[in-house]
Amino acid sequence: MAASQVMETISSEDEDQEMIELEAIRSPYGAAKFDLTHANPEDLEAQHYHEPKHTNALHRNNWSSSTQRVLSSMPSRSIRFNQLTALSRSTVTCRRRPLSDVSTTNCTTEHDVFREQDDCENDVAQKEEVLNKLQGLSAGECMRVLREMPISVSEKRQIRAWVFCWAAGQPCVHRYKGASGSSAVCAFTMDQVEEAFNGRYREVNRETQQWYTYNHLVPEPRPGAVLCGWCYGRVSQQKSIQLWQGALRNISAHFGTGVLSYFIFLRRLLIYNILFFLINGLFLVLPQISNPPLPKNIHTTTADLWMLTGMGVLTDSVMFYGHYDNNISIYNNFKNVTKWCPENYNIPLAYIFTIGAGMFITCVMLVYSMSKSIGRGFRVFKTTGNLALKVFCSWDFKVSKKWSVKLQSVNICTQLKEMVSELSCRKQKRNLCSTLGWIHFLVWFICIFCIAACMLAVYHLPSYTDQICSKANSFQKAVCLLKLPLVMSCISQLLPGFFDMLSTVEHYDSPSTRIYVSIVRNLLLKGCIFGILCYCWFEQHSCRTKGLITWQCWETLVGQELYRLVLMDLLFAIVYIIIAEFLWGLCIRNITFRRKKLEFDIARDVLELIYGQTLVWFGVLFSPLLPAVQIGKLFLLFYFKKTSLMTNFQPSKKTWRSTQMSTFFIKLLFFPSFTGALACVIYVMWRVGPSSDCGPFSNLHSMLLLGKECQGSSKPSMLWLSWTYKYLVNNPIFLFITAALFFTIIYIYMQVLDGQKMIIVRLQKQIENEGEDKKFLIAKIQALNEASAPQ
Amino acid sequence: MGNKQTIFTSQQLDAYQDCTYFTRKEILRLFHRYRDLAPQLVPLDYKNQPEVRLPYELIGSMPELKDNPFRQRIAEVFSEDGEGNMTLDDFLDMFSVLSEMAPRDLKAYYAFKIYDFNNDDFICKSDLEKTLNKLTRNELTEDEVRMVCEKVIDEADLDNDGRLSLEDFQHMIMRAPDFLSTFHIRI
Repeated sequence: MAASQVMETISSEDEDQEMIELEAIRSPYGAAKFDLTHANPEDLEAQHYHEPKHTNALHRNNWSSSTQRVLSSMPSRSIRFNQLTALSRSTVTCRRRPLSDVSTTNCTTEHDVFREQDDCENDVAQKEEVLNKLQGLSAGECMRVLREMPISVSEKRQIRAWVFCWAAGQPCVHRYKGASGSSAVCAFTMDQVEEAFNGRYREVNRETQQWYTYNHLVPEPRPGAVLCGWCYGRVSQQKSIQLWQGALRNISAHFGTGVLSYFIFLRRLLIYNILFFLINGLFLVLPQISNPPLPKNIHTTTADLWMLTGMGVLTDSVMFYGHYDNNISIYNNFKNVTKWCPENYNIPLAYIFTIGAGMFITCVMLVYSMSKSIGRGFRVFKTTGNLALKVFCSWDFKVSKKWSVKLQSVNICTQLKEMVSELSCRKQKRNLCSTLGWIHFLVWFICIFCIAACMLAVYHLPSYTDQICSKANSFQKAVCLLKLPLVMSCISQLLPGFFDMLSTVEHYDSPSTRIYVSIVRNLLLKGCIFGILCYCWFEQHSCRTKGLITWQCWETLVGQELYRLVLMDLLFAIVYIIIAEFLWGLCIRNITFRRKKLEFDIARDVLELIYGQTLVWFGVLFSPLLPAVQIGKLFLLFYFKKTSLMTNFQPSKKTWRSTQMSTFFIKLLFFPSFTGALACVIYVMWRVGPSSDCGPFSNLHSMLLLGKECQGSSKPSMLWLSWTYKYLVNNPIFLFITAALFFTIIYIYMQVLDGQKMIIVRLQKQIENEGEDKKFLIAKIQALNEASAPQ
Repeated sequence: MGNKQTIFTSQQLDAYQDCTYFTRKEILRLFHRYRDLAPQLVPLDYKNQPEVRLPYELIGSMPELKDNPFRQRIAEVFSEDGEGNMTLDDFLDMFSVLSEMAPRDLKAYYAFKIYDFNNDDFICKSDLEKTLNKLTRNELTEDEVRMVCEKVIDEADLDNDGRLSLEDFQHMIMRAPDFLSTFHIRI
């Protein structure tokens, strides 16, 4: 009877109800439910003006009280996302819900009343459940769970006190057995222990065997005290001593998370360089310093600007490859000085292993941070639309200066307006796209033309400067040497700015596309000029092997070249900061009426860092102390950039998705920066013959052939090396098996991931189905109540 | 160092350490920040747990919160009486949740409560409108606000009841890797 009544009621209802039901069915799964361009605009408007405050007809003002009663006792409206939170939430009696606000809500007045009644009834039982759950855990786990509960600190302290009371109140389980392993503390109850440790601090005098009260400052923590803070993982909770913590806080307060990411990237590079330097220093540089080789015949002239050019004194120092011994000279070295390492310390082997170990550890750390970064930014679910994220997650709470807050507000407002206009104008395809396509082409053509011109310049410059500088005095020679690095720094720092200026003419669909395009152009430029430089060196090396030029100790020369490049980069960056940021910023501030400041270009600066780091990774083979130079460079750069930032810059108006871009930059740092440098290093070690008159590999055809050399040696300490070389490295079957194993494991993981993705899609569909069911049932209940209740 | 302070007993400090994401030093530093807001109201001796409650106006005048458009909601959510008047416990709770070490779920829970202006455990359309107006300082027109609210509910509402529950909100937060870094105040 009731059923048929309901059916009739539904079918005879007015247009609104039918229209709404239709709409419920029509919304497609997995896509936006309210697609404004597809829905009939008149229907929507009618619905909106009929009930101006509700988008969904389920929210109506005139729900009957019986319906509301049913709804408010639905389990999903009082249980939180995990069970413990649910239990702890309902232990709160009357919390944080001011009654003044309740009356202004639309449909929750009676809702709240029922919730409070439930709370009072189940209070005691659920408190016990929380305690039981906590007591079952270990101490550290208990505190971790307690910290993660979304209740107030005073309630947490209460719960904690209850947990401890329970632990203390019960009699001790372990009886004092008098065995050697048992502790005296267990023989006493907690009250007695507390009394002892809170009383006077006494010490025993060993000679007299008497206890005396210690009247000086009692050490904290008291010896023997079992403090909760220490046992409950407090050590792990302590913040590690982080470099530049205060400076970073200041930067984030003014500029937000985007600019902060540049400085955090700088700090990360610093850590990698420090590690590399430590490895090199301990295992390569120190042994070589303590075992200085025989002085060579080459005359080391005192050169001007030796620190900048790396010539003169530095040529035959531990800075560069040429200084390091090959094994033969060590045996001839009969000096009787105290050495830190044994005489048979094999420098060539150490050279290969140290550089290899440094590269390997850097690779592992890069991959680890890359995977963590990707994991943080991983999006599993439907990624259509970012509006909700923009509304809820874009406000940076760190920004606290008034002007920066206002800028952030304006920024978000602009982005929201853009998104709204996109929403409403989606049907209007941009007809301008086709006509402006040729602008893109033109700009790309100009960029590639510039890059090609720079490549030619870099290629011909060395021969040009050689002609000029061959007969100059030493100071002019030094300056000549610096010309190439100067030109390269100019190109790599100034040309991307030029490209950015060109790209202002272009139109892009979204700001992130613009950023990616500028990054690609920048990378192309830097990659090309670096590639050309390597090609120059390679060409000169092949000329040398053909006997056309005398180029002794080419590795030291390449090392010096890279050293000059790194230093010149730093100098140019500092000069650029002073001129283009301080002076220009001063002009802009005083001349423009609105006292506008500059905006920090995060992408360009991060790419500069990546380029510098690539040079270091490539150069470490030829100059083992280059990471130390890079450490100094990064330190200086940090302080210069920070000062310049605070003085000359304002927070950016452009949006910057810092997590996504940080992940992107770490990926760039790994590929192509690190992998490119590693590939070059491996190629040099494998294919390029070392020079025969200097360095640790002077008697070999290739650096990696050292393994074969060791095969011949009969020393017991070298046996493991020769065995490894013969059976693992030189053995193709072993390599095939290892590769096959890795591929199998990767394939299995890929299949597991695919399966999990399918499960996620199914669960999502299930949630949506449940939602539809819920809507339907709510409508039915309301219909029932309306039908049965007297009006 | 620990022995010199006479503000808290060591048990109290341990309790605070276990219940927040701060170390002892930080708790003492935060206490001094709390006290600096009203030195005449806050005693230097917390051993017998005095009932001191700082009014919202003082909390809202802190440099970290002074210009934040959500400062009133933050203070209301973390205060015991729901009006924004905070005890020391509430103060520590607030900065602990907003610190770097708080996990994502905890932050999402409190962010949800902050954006839930009418405290009905759902973010409905009126809550969204208020959030938008606070974010943009009332710069958006009525139409734009309406469209944004509709689109947001479309995107984020999974169970299709027309408003965002805590589950929907947390689900959405999982898609936002930036959330952990933006919902963070350094103090």
